[in-house]
Order: sequence, then C-alpha cells, then structure tokens
Amino acid sequence: MRAAIRTLVFVLAALIAAKSAAAEDTLEAVKKKGVIVIGVKNDYKPWGFLDPSGQIIGLEIDMSDEIAKKIGVKLEKIPVTAANRTEFLQQGKIDAIIATMGDTPQRRQVIGMIEPNYYAGATNVLALKTSGLSQWGDLKGKKVCAVQGAYYNRRVSELYQPELVVFPAVPEATNALLGGACVGFLFDDTLFSSWLSSGDAKWANYTMPLTSEDPQPWAIGVRLEDLKGPFGQLLSAMVTEWHKTGWLLEREKKWGIKESPFLVEMHKKLM
Amino acid sequence: MSGVAEWFRWLNSAHGINLSIFYDGFDQRRFVTGIETTLGLSLACVAASFALGVLGAWLQGSKSRLVRASVRCYVEFFRNTPPLIQLLFFYFGIGALLPTFPDGSAGGQPLVSNLGWAIVSLSLFAGAHNVEIFRSGIEAVPRAMREAAEALGHTRFQIFRLIVFPMAFRISLPAFNNNLVNLVKTTTLAYAIAVPELLYASAQIWSESFNVKEMMNVLLLVYLALIAVVVWGMGWLERRLRIPGYSV
Amino acid sequence: MRALVDTPSPSAALECRWLGAISAVLLALFPLSVALAQATVRPGSESILSGVLRWLPLVFSGFLFNLLVSVLSMALGTALGVILGFGLIARGTSARIASLGAMQFFRNAPWLVLLFYAMFLIPYQVTVFGWSIPFPDWIKAVIGLALPVMANVAEIVRGGVLSIPAGQWESARGLALNRRQILWLVIVPQAVRRMIPPWMNLYATLAMATPLISIVGVQDALTMTRSALVAEGRPELFLPMYLALLVMFFSFCYPVALATRTLERHLDAQT
Repeated sequence: MRAAIRTLVFVLAALIAAKSAAAEDTLEAVKKKGVIVIGVKNDYKPWGFLDPSGQIIGLEIDMSDEIAKKIGVKLEKIPVTAANRTEFLQQGKIDAIIATMGDTPQRRQVIGMIEPNYYAGATNVLALKTSGLSQWGDLKGKKVCAVQGAYYNRRVSELYQPELVVFPAVPEATNALLGGACVGFLFDDTLFSSWLSSGDAKWANYTMPLTSEDPQPWAIGVRLEDLKGPFGQLLSAMVTEWHKTGWLLEREKKWGIKESPFLVEMHKKLM
Repeated sequence: MSGVAEWFRWLNSAHGINLSIFYDGFDQRRFVTGIETTLGLSLACVAASFALGVLGAWLQGSKSRLVRASVRCYVEFFRNTPPLIQLLFFYFGIGALLPTFPDGSAGGQPLVSNLGWAIVSLSLFAGAHNVEIFRSGIEAVPRAMREAAEALGHTRFQIFRLIVFPMAFRISLPAFNNNLVNLVKTTTLAYAIAVPELLYASAQIWSESFNVKEMMNVLLLVYLALIAVVVWGMGWLERRLRIPGYSV
Repeated sequence: MRALVDTPSPSAALECRWLGAISAVLLALFPLSVALAQATVRPGSESILSGVLRWLPLVFSGFLFNLLVSVLSMALGTALGVILGFGLIARGTSARIASLGAMQFFRNAPWLVLLFYAMFLIPYQVTVFGWSIPFPDWIKAVIGLALPVMANVAEIVRGGVLSIPAGQWESARGLALNRRQILWLVIVPQAVRRMIPPWMNLYATLAMATPLISIVGVQDALTMTRSALVAEGRPELFLPMYLALLVMFFSFCYPVALATRTLERHLDAQT
C-alpha cells in the first residue's frame, strides 16, 4: 500500500515537473514534426467557417494552405476564438494565429505581429433598419451585444457608454440580437458585410446604420521570440508576396468579399 | 491609495504578475460591480427560492389532487434538468416570445432583463430543491404534534405556520444550508447570458489584459471567501434556532 | 448521517403512478411548445416541427457525448475521491489536514470556475520521459468536472465509513485485525451500501452539469443547439429547440433519480 502511494506520488510529481517542448526555433520544429498547426476562426464567414461536411474553409484557410505548402508540411487547423487564441499560441498549442486578429499596440506586447498587415477591418454595429440609430452617440444607455475578447469593446464602452452585453462567442450574441435582447451587435464590419451581402433572408431587415470607425489592420500572429527569427521572416516575405502579386485581391473576389480599399492600396504600394 | 496601485504596477513590470484590478480604474470598477452583482443575485435567489420552497411544501399537503400533481411536476422537472439549459430556455426561448416595451427606438427594450431571467430561473431551480427538502423535514415532524394541535382546534394553515413548519425548518436546516451554498455557486451560470457577475467580470478582464492565471486565482479566492461567509452565517443561524433537548 | 441519505420518498406503488402521470405531462410540453411556436410563425414559411426535426439527430449525438463525458468524469472523480476519502480518515494528522483542505477547496469552488481553471491551466500536452501525452479540450473538461466530483465522493466515503457503529471497530480490533484489515474487510463492505444512494445522486448532479462544457468551447449538445439556431436564424425556433434539449436530459435523469430512490428504499428496508 505504502509502496503504491509512493510510486503514484512520484509519477504525479514527474508529470507536474515536466515541461512542454523546449525553446527551439518554430520553423525547425515544424519541419521536424511535418505538421504546422494554425489557429483559425470557424464562425466568421467567409474568412474561416464550417462547410456542411464540418470542414473549416475560407480565405484565411487558403492563406494557411499556402504557408503549409511553402514550408512543405501538412496543415492542421485548430478553431480559436478571440478569447483563447493568445493562450493557445503562448502554450505552444498552435504555431501561428490567422484568425481575423486586429493588430493593436497592447496585443503587440504579447504577440508578434507579422508585417505587412494582410487586411483591415473597422468597428460597426448591426441593427434593424428601424432601430433609429444614426450616430455612435445614440448608443448611450442602450443594450448592445458584443463578443468577449474583442479589442474595440473597451473603447466603445468608454467613449459612448452603451450597456454592453458581452457573450462568450458569436452564436450567442447573434441569437440574442435575433431574439430582440439588444438593439444592436457590436463587431467587426467585415463580418456584417458578408452576412448582409449573402442574401440570407434573416438579415433582410438589418443594416449597419453607423459609419465604420476605428480602422484596424489585421495581422498574422506568432510568438514574440519567432517574430525576428526565420519563421517570422518567412511569413513576412509571404504576405509581401501576396500583396505584390495581387493574390489576396483575387482570393477576396473568389470568396465574395466587397473589395477593400486597404488591399488595393497595399497592392499599389508594394507592386 | 495610489501607493497600493503603484506597488501593483511595479509588481507587473518587475515580476510579470499582472493584477490589473488593483491599479487600473476600469478593471477595478468592473470587478467590484461583479462582486456586487453576485451578492445581489445570490440574495434575491435565496429569498425567492425560500418563498417558493415554503409555498410548494404547503401546497403538497393540499386536498386537491391537481394541486399536488402540479407541484410534483414542477419539482421533478426542475430537479432533473440541467440548470444551465433552464437558464438559456428562459432567456432565449421565453424571452424572445415576450413583447418589448417601447423606449423610443424600434425594437424597444426587452420586458425582462438578463439579470431578471437569471433570478427567475435560478430561483425556480433552487425552489424545487427546497420543496423536497422542506417536504422531508415536514414528514419528520412527529405525527403526535400535529394531532395535538388539531385537538386544540387549530386550522391546517395555523398548524403549518405555528407548529409544523418551524419544526420542519430546523430539522431540514443542514440540507437547506447545503442547497444555499449550491445556489451561490450556481450563480456563476449567469455568465452564459452575460449577466455582469463576478465570473463575467473576470473573464472580461483576463481576455483584455491577458492575465488569466492571476485572475483565476483571485476569482477562486473570492468565491471561497464568499462561501465561507455563507457557511459561517448559516452556522450562526443553526445555533440560534437550536431547540434545547430536541437535537436531530 | 441523515444529511447524506436522500429525503424519504413515497411508497413504490405511488411512485409508479406518479411516474406515468408526470412523464406524460412533461413530455406533452414539447408538442405544446411546437404548436405555440407554430402559431406565431408567418404563413408561407417552413413549419416549426420540420425545422426542429432536421437538427434533432445532431443535437441527440451531442447529448450522447454529454453522457460519455459524465461517465468518464464520474469514473475519474470516484477513483480520486476514494483516495482523498481515505486521506480524510487517515490517522496521521498532516494527511488528514491536507485532505480536508483539498476537499473544502474543491467542494466550495463553483463548478464552472473549476472548469475554466482546468481548461486554462492544464497544458495542451505533457512530455514525460520522452513521450508526449496530448490533452485535447474534452479531456481537460472531463478532468475539470472530475475535481468537484472527487471532493464530494471523498465526503461521501468519509460519511459512509463514520456511519458504521463503533461496535464494529471494537469487535474487529478484538479479533486482532490491524487498521488496514479492519477497513478493507469489515468497515468498507458495510459502508459501501450506504454510500451508493448519495453517490448516484452525485452522478445525477454531474450529468446535469455536463452542459457547462459548452461554455468553455467543447462541442456538445448545447453547442449543437446554438449552432442550429444560428443557422436557422428564426427566433420562433428558440423555445422548441431548448425545450427539446430539456426533454432529452429529463428522459435520462428522471429514471436515474427514480432508480436511486427505489434502491435507497430497498437498502433502508434491509438495515
């Protein structure tokens, strides 16, 4: 009995003391493993979403496929949300984040942001056409649904003082909006553009009544130590290449996204 | 006060332990609001579920079979289904059906807020458990006491109010305390419908300030402290209500 | 040990009659809600029933996953709880105090907070002696749910062992058995029968707590329901779908509760 307990304690101690993968360069580790693990969205159509068979597809998945092909390894996609993608990256569960992530100075302290940025989004509110909202100040005191972890929640809270109702993920916030629990849904305007242009009947009475604010470029995220290393440099070069050749513009058109002035400008700049 | 804030800011930059609730005003307000909401939610639910428990226990002795059956249905339904899904059912399901009252904008304000639905749902849930707890307490009261009271000419309601229920409550106090502690723990479910209670506030803070580990530990400690206060309070109540010579 | 044993219940015959009546009434709620929802639907759009039935297989498969998680969590929690329970009745003071501390900690923390704790703080994989053991999300959820189960099982074990009359201990000691033999040969076999009803109650509580895993991102019946509602986008479906989910859980948990009460009556009658 005593011996059994002693062995158990020893095994537990070993498990607790064990650390995860050693700090070697990510590119080397990925090549050795033969698989690159990228965190993507699975609820943000058409950047990363589920097709009827349960596969994750979208523009950012196309980007991930290109990266995997370039390095010569297999791609493994892990669905992430704004609230858990940083943890996953830092723990080493994923090697990179390509998940509609806004590039903010605060996030730069913990995540390495690959430059140049590959897209830009802005903040807006989705509401009924009859909601009576016309400017941001109209939100004061009104219930506005939002999703946890979004960088603009705090700014909008402080500037316009709505009553923010923050849900754990997009589906809950969407259901709350549809059920009338809030007057609007605060989120990135790229998601709303794609919903409104999809022709889906449920969005027929909805619109984005306010002017998009606070434009924020998106970036691929890597661990801070990888940013200047071979992995970060490879990704940086690839994004530059995509802008130069207009590959991102072509992908944008394929997925039915309204042409973004940001992409056009980057293409011209880097051509 | 600013000295405290400065020390925590130093702690963050020197050792990486980020306890932003102590030096950041916005986070601090959110956290304090979270504690207040949890306390308010717990108190409201305790009061409402106690009332429901008493009502249900009283109705279980009714002569009408329909009334007894209805109480049974209520109790079995709320005891044998997940409280989280009950909560979502009320907020999304019934909430979407209720009319809204106008507040100038089209769409209007929902009739019952998410905090309101949390109170309704959790009170019904805890109330069902209380009905069972009080029922067993009532059954444990000696028949002789009831018969003696009848012999003295009391009505059913008087017997319940003056003799049976005070006795039953003392007998079922341990189980009632247990249920109370569970109720305080169950208020965390309101996070799912964005009620600004403690878990919600902490989740907001850690997803924006990236201090998951620190906030988790603070959260656990605060809940343990809260529960310790509840247990201590109920222990005091138990001692106050003890009847000398009648210990169960 | 009155507090451990469930409240005394009406006789068996009465239970059977109630079972039929209550189940009939509660299961009738579902068609009623469908009819109610149908009444609010615009003419020309799809019927509520077909909408619900389309998603029912997916939600049901999620429900089976919930049951799997509950069984695994119960097994793990029971195994750990038994160990902790023996720690609670140990003779050494330090072992007792440590076990008491652990038990109070895990019993008094909210289940959802412990779940978050487990999800965030268990690494996604652990490397021991060169082998890496992966911890997928759902395993972390199983561990997270097993923690409060462990604490409650420990309390049940302690209560069960302490409820055996002192006479048993004294006679066993009189037969020159040492402490370990007394526990294993005399006390525990008798105590186990008393531990079973509260243990089954704990399982019912756990089964009803499994939807919590959807909040931390594991795909289960509740996640499926939410995705289905977003895909359909009709607020009239909210009520029937959530009610369907409630009915599914009720059909499992109510028989378990009845079986527990029957068993308890059976055991009570024998002692």
